[in-house]
Amino acid sequence: MKRLLLASATLLVLSSLGAQAEERTLTISVYAFAQDDYKKLVYDPFEAKCGCKLVVETGNSVERLAKMQENKANPVVDMAVISMADALQASRAGLIDKIDTSKLSNFNKLYDLAKDPNGDGMSVGYTFYATSIAYRPDKMKIDSWTDLLKPEYVGHVAWPNVTTNQGPPALYMLGLALGKNTPDLAAPIAAVGEHKSDIVTFYEKSSQLVQLMQQEEIWAAPIGRFSWAGFTKLDVPVAWAAPKEGQTGGMNVMVVTKGSKNQDLALQFMDFWLSTEAQTALAMKLVDSPANKEVKLPDDVANNLTYGEDTAKSLKLIPSAVALDQRNGWVKEWNDKVGQ
Amino acid sequence: MFQNRAEALALALPAAVFVAVVFLAPVLILLSEGFHIAPGGWTLSAYAGFFSEALNQTVFLRTLRLGVEVTAVSAVIGYVAAFAIVNLPPKSKGRMVGLVVLPLMISPVARTYAWIVILGRTGIVNRVVQGLGLSSEPLRLLFSETAVFIGLLQLFLPLMILSLISALENMPKDAIPAARVLGANWFQVFWKVVLPLTREGLVVGGTLVFTGSLTAYITPAILGGSKVLMLETLLYQRISVSNDYVSASVIAFILIVMSFGANLVLKRLATARSRA
Repeated sequence: MKRLLLASATLLVLSSLGAQAEERTLTISVYAFAQDDYKKLVYDPFEAKCGCKLVVETGNSVERLAKMQENKANPVVDMAVISMADALQASRAGLIDKIDTSKLSNFNKLYDLAKDPNGDGMSVGYTFYATSIAYRPDKMKIDSWTDLLKPEYVGHVAWPNVTTNQGPPALYMLGLALGKNTPDLAAPIAAVGEHKSDIVTFYEKSSQLVQLMQQEEIWAAPIGRFSWAGFTKLDVPVAWAAPKEGQTGGMNVMVVTKGSKNQDLALQFMDFWLSTEAQTALAMKLVDSPANKEVKLPDDVANNLTYGEDTAKSLKLIPSAVALDQRNGWVKEWNDKVGQ
Repeated sequence: MFQNRAEALALALPAAVFVAVVFLAPVLILLSEGFHIAPGGWTLSAYAGFFSEALNQTVFLRTLRLGVEVTAVSAVIGYVAAFAIVNLPPKSKGRMVGLVVLPLMISPVARTYAWIVILGRTGIVNRVVQGLGLSSEPLRLLFSETAVFIGLLQLFLPLMILSLISALENMPKDAIPAARVLGANWFQVFWKVVLPLTREGLVVGGTLVFTGSLTAYITPAILGGSKVLMLETLLYQRISVSNDYVSASVIAFILIVMSFGANLVLKRLATARSRA
């Protein structure tokens, strides 16, 4: 009896090990944002479809890129979603491979700006966002980015710190408004520096702005559209500005790790994420603005996202190469002029 | 208690190994980053580079100043509060100690966010100030050194009070009446009798408050933001934004040195007072 039990147990263990060996695993590296929604709308449906297992690693860009660099010789991540500039950095560091877009059935459904954001074939955009100014229309009028620095308004403004994703784009638009558009952003940084004691705060996290707006601590702040939904729930009027210089923004992209043993599976997953169904589901939950132009959204949802062909074409994005090459210079200039 | 020294050491070994592996080793590895950059070996160039930047000097001095200010003010308030509590009847004393401990059971994040509401333009402080006609415009209190100071003081004052309560309870009960009978005024009583007899409590409380103020992250980040950068918020920025582990290591080492330095200075001051 004992022998029989032992033999049964051994068979059970061996069969389960065999099953595990057959199950393919895809490791993805993503932002920690809205993971419950992603799991429900993207990860679980893909696992069911491919019969594989998804291992999800989360963290900020710096941590995740550092991990990819550390494991360059023996990659542990198969696919990652990062910002455009980080994708270029990863490309320069030899961490990612060219994407075989012929294997992406949804590739041609993407807006043109998402197809090859860095022009090197190394990434595909899956979401983009506009950056403009959330403001109190009952307290102020915004026609230009320079209005934020007007004496009557500047004491009620929160400005994004240069180290945040919104910092450089907001400075870039201020530079355009000042008529001094140089890659070093020297003029807009100097302009902000002149008003550093008037500006309420240089924010690090857009989540804190909703409370500051509610408390009337601030009347305006440059923000990414993905932060907008929180402002619409306030019991004070808040509007999304359309300055004459236009709106800036950013894009998040998908990349495939160089040397990954699961590149085909990674491409299947990317294609699934870019599908009209997945992009629609994520947009309806206000998780991501769709990069797939076939996605159709009702007005109430579209108003809270960066949506549509015209919007996509109108965004003035900082080229990744500029962002990457100038980043340390911007921080140094900012620390000299604003951080003191 | 133990039959021999070897037995005592053997019993201490598991804890020592645990601390060495999970605490000392990672800290030493991190700190070593700041000392060897050049292939030639060890160098202090990272420290020289750090202190050559005006921003870093400002942040270092601000952190030191705020740490000293919070410690000094919490010592003054702490002595007054501890005196009051120690002299209460036992039942009331228990309740008051409970009230002192209560904030320590609440998350620093919640305690700090409360100050945003209190210190805001439409907050309680501004309503009182404007209601009393002291100012026609709301005061700008948030995102300032004042806000960070208030937040840190509220965060760590209980630690000082508890340390001083313990020290005052261990003081001979007749020390103060004896000094008064001998003609000492209240200031002399405090300076020549109470302070020397409670120096251990002051050193413990002072060290906890000072090191806490140096290493607190949430409070300076929320109430000061980037306008009032402190060493710990700068450390976070260097790691999470710039991936600059060398600078982070330098800042971490400076914080450790400051903490040990504070403990030494407080001990010296207390010893000097006791000899006076």
